[in-house]
Amino acid sequence: MVQRHEHDDPREGLSLNVDFTLSDDQQLLRDTARALLDKECPPSLVRAYQDDVSAADRLWEHLLEWTELGRGPLVDLCLFLEEAGAVLAPGPFFATSVLWDGLGLDGIGTVAFIDDVTMPYTIDADLVDQIAVVVPDGAVVIDRSRLTLNPVQTLDWTRHLVEVSGSGDFDPPRPFDEEALRERAYVAIAAELLGTARSLLERTIAYATERHQFDRPIGSFQAIQHKIADMALVYEEAWSAVYYAAMCIDAGDDDRHRAAHVAKIMAGAAATRAAKDGIQVHGGIGYTWEHDLHLYIRRAYQSEHLFGTSDWHRDRLAELIL
Amino acid sequence: MRLAWGPEEEAFRAELVDFLDRHAPKRALGLDFATSEEEGIPEWSRQWQATLFDHGWLVPGYPPELGGRNATPVQTLIFQEEMAARGLPRSLHFPGWAIVAPSLLEFGTEAQKALAPASLRGDMVWCIGMSEPDAGSDLASLKTRAVLDGDHFVVNGQKVWTSYAMWSQKCFCYTRTNPDVPKHKGITVLIIDMDTPGIDIRPLRQITGTTHFAEVFFSDVVVPRENVVGEIDAGWRITMGSLAHERGGLWLQTVSGVDHALTDLVGLAKRTGADGNQAVRRRLADAYAQVSALRALGYKGFSSFAQGSSAPEHSYLKLATSELQKSLFELGMELEGPAGIVVDPAHHEGAGRLAFSFFTSFASTIAGGTSEIQRNIIAERVLGLPRGK
Ligand SMILES: Cc1cc2nc3c(=O)[nH]c(=O)nc-3n(C[C@H](O)[C@H](O)[C@H](O)COP(=O)(O)OP(=O)(O)OC[C@H]3O[C@@H](n4cnc5c(N)ncnc54)[C@H](O)[C@@H]3O)c2cc1C
Repeated sequence: MVQRHEHDDPREGLSLNVDFTLSDDQQLLRDTARALLDKECPPSLVRAYQDDVSAADRLWEHLLEWTELGRGPLVDLCLFLEEAGAVLAPGPFFATSVLWDGLGLDGIGTVAFIDDVTMPYTIDADLVDQIAVVVPDGAVVIDRSRLTLNPVQTLDWTRHLVEVSGSGDFDPPRPFDEEALRERAYVAIAAELLGTARSLLERTIAYATERHQFDRPIGSFQAIQHKIADMALVYEEAWSAVYYAAMCIDAGDDDRHRAAHVAKIMAGAAATRAAKDGIQVHGGIGYTWEHDLHLYIRRAYQSEHLFGTSDWHRDRLAELIL
Repeated sequence: MRLAWGPEEEAFRAELVDFLDRHAPKRALGLDFATSEEEGIPEWSRQWQATLFDHGWLVPGYPPELGGRNATPVQTLIFQEEMAARGLPRSLHFPGWAIVAPSLLEFGTEAQKALAPASLRGDMVWCIGMSEPDAGSDLASLKTRAVLDGDHFVVNGQKVWTSYAMWSQKCFCYTRTNPDVPKHKGITVLIIDMDTPGIDIRPLRQITGTTHFAEVFFSDVVVPRENVVGEIDAGWRITMGSLAHERGGLWLQTVSGVDHALTDLVGLAKRTGADGNQAVRRRLADAYAQVSALRALGYKGFSSFAQGSSAPEHSYLKLATSELQKSLFELGMELEGPAGIVVDPAHHEGAGRLAFSFFTSFASTIAGGTSEIQRNIIAERVLGLPRGK
């Protein structure tokens, strides 16, 4: 819905149109990312990372090369993040490419939002060199070693969440566009969630096809089919909403403020729906630690809670449309 | 990926906007779902359809002699955008121009193709006889029997839910010509003149109180053999939704309709003070998120359509839009509070409008393939799940 076109005045036509065709470069980016991440980030790595962050060292060497996507169009970054979310890639890629690069800073870093209801933790603060702490008139860049870090154990260990505090004489704040950074973060985390939702959906379809009960594949039972159809529907809606929002941000279009909330709401819905219904379709095996499903479910719910829960975004969106 | 069309497309849009400003009937603006409380085929609708045809704007992708202007897919989409933005239907009565004419042009004999211009212009009015009492979602089990007897068929049976039957000159009728083969293989489409002896049309009053569809009974109805469309026993191929080149943007009308309904609800919430209630605010925001996502999904579908790939987005859009439409009108009734159940137009301005829309929206998840059938299609044909029994 493009509300800036008032339909009260039938003379004013729609002027906003969206072409979702991926360019050859974008197609290549996506294929390369998918191949790389499938190879370098298997579920075994995700599991090992829980106790040993060095398990992701080799992966990080690869990801580091891709952090420069954070300096280009958001659509391209989202295409990569989607693939990273599909394999639950751990490490400070999101922190660096989305947040740190979003401030136009060099190197590896993250951004700390202090006393913020949507983001009381700092993403992967323990894994970066520098932290930009958001203060009223900008962001203060501080070496990690000068801050106190309190890592908090959360659902999804692939993304470290850290309480950051500290005092002292720091450099003066650098001004930046906080609204733009936040909107970028909403859309970026939504893009990651798309990948996670897609993996859940693909695994669920595969399982429903293999698993037989009553001498039939369970995917031939209509109750299962309709559940999966609804999972796929929300996923398709979310995919389109996320890339629409990314395009709006890249184009500086007025609709970006609303679209960013929509993207986060829809991607949260897609991932949590795929998580809940995905485990239901898997039955008992999905309830085990051994099966990989819970890794995705952890990511889905954790990310749905980051940068504002879905209801928080609904409340913000309501302010914009009402 | 990009956000806007180029100058040539915008020039096309400007010409269209100019035409619409001058010719679009006020009465039709904002009708959205092409449903109306008006029965029959109102004069303004006839005239509007003819005007569109005469100016080459009825089906822009067709050549001028068929009411078009050889528009490209993107131009057609722009046309659909502008119509949808205004909630402007091309006619109150879609079977002739949207389904029958394209089918005749694709499958018909030369003589049948010659019926297309009048059908498009609205001078020839059609109904579509598919559903029967025992053949709804399972259309292929239809039983209306057509037996070939020399140079003509004799038709016996019954159709139901036949929209506009009582105002139509002709019926595009699906009949059983061979009961001894698998059910999809014995169906034949016949063009049946509605004034042929033996046809009995009994209008059915709908849930809204208005009457738009009917039961149609056929008793020994004689139909010339040359009225077969396509081949005998090969009627299953001639299925609905044949405006192939418009398929990429057909969603625009319904998505925009839902969008307009939501805009109305936002206005209603403000008037009634319900906009101060957080639960209501969240529901409206959620509906907004869904409509925006569906619009984006529609454009994504168009992008693959324009590249020639088949777009599964259609089933997703049909399912989601129709379900959302129902839930929005239901929310609207709720927001109206006690006024929501008043249908006496004398009671207050706009009384009963939402209730009418709500009741009308029940059809959207039934007609044209029910929501359950859409989910079956998504599961088995789009996602490739194993077929059910
Ligand atoms: C306003 C309106 C206008 C119409 N106009 C026309 C017209 O002009 N011409 C015409 O031919 N028809 C017309 N129809 C008929 C319409 O196409 C049928 O109503 C529709 O195809 C459903 O068939 P049915 O009503 O027999 O329901 P049924 O097929 O009996 O369905 C009843 C319920 O069973 C469910 N169901 C059925 N099969 C399955 C399955 N395989 N899996 C899961 N669930 C299933 C359905 O989803 C539904 O919930 C119109 C209908 C309406 C409401």
